[in-house]
Amino acid sequence: MEAVVTSPVELDEPRSDLDQALTPPWVTLVWNDPVNLMSYVSYVFRSYFGYPEIKADKLMLDVHEKGRAAVSNGSREEMERDVEALQGYGLWATMRKDD
Amino acid sequence: MARGFSRGRRGIRAKLDPHEKSLLAHLFVEVFELLDAHDGPGEQDPLAVMVGIGTAVDTPADPALARLLPDGHRDDPQASADFRRYTELGLRQRKRAGLEAARVTLGREGALVLDDEEARAWAVALTDVRLVLAERMGLRTEQDHDRLLEQAEGDDEGVSVMLSLYDFLTWLQETLVAALVAPLRDLPEG
Repeated sequence: MEAVVTSPVELDEPRSDLDQALTPPWVTLVWNDPVNLMSYVSYVFRSYFGYPEIKADKLMLDVHEKGRAAVSNGSREEMERDVEALQGYGLWATMRKDD
Repeated sequence: MARGFSRGRRGIRAKLDPHEKSLLAHLFVEVFELLDAHDGPGEQDPLAVMVGIGTAVDTPADPALARLLPDGHRDDPQASADFRRYTELGLRQRKRAGLEAARVTLGREGALVLDDEEARAWAVALTDVRLVLAERMGLRTEQDHDRLLEQAEGDDEGVSVMLSLYDFLTWLQETLVAALVAPLRDLPEG
């Protein structure tokens, strides 16, 4: 295959939509624990993510009943930010590559 | 007898007796100190600390501390270690700042009246205290609370004291979250 010559400047260009689409997405998971109140977990989803009440309650119930829920997705850097913030609230949050 | 938090015109207020106030202040200080311990082996690089990079890479040995500062990845110790290096110091600092902000409000004269920012600090501080208490009591699954209740109703005075304290904090936090959420109800959903 022939090498494609590109100008080095392009390396600093923002990533294209195609690049974004090819990058495996990551998810932030929140795990159930017996301490965090259902009302508090829902409150955190609303105040941190800005989710509407109905979505926050649905995710909270998923955490409670299924043991965990994927509460956000995006780039690895974005998920690191979300996990750090949710851990700051005292939620048991982790991240992983989406499958 | 305590009256839980409710939202009024001047803020989010609760009525706590002096004993309850000093108990809460004590608990906030205890967890503050738990989070204050040196964050890892070796010397801290002051410049790294300035930008929030610590030396801690391992899950804290104390399970209560490990619950406050959990691993960022469940099945990837190396990624967890990297994440911890960049986040644990900041998390500890922010949690301590919140616990301290909550404690300071308890020193005020008269009724406890919080603005929204103080109320948010309280909600997180109560969470952190309850997480530590739960771990110390062995409350790790949904079933453990019933088991502890049986122990408390039996003859275990230690469990009885810890559990009633825990339940008091749970009740107080429920009233606080309800007060925090109250104005959100008026926002348009979208």
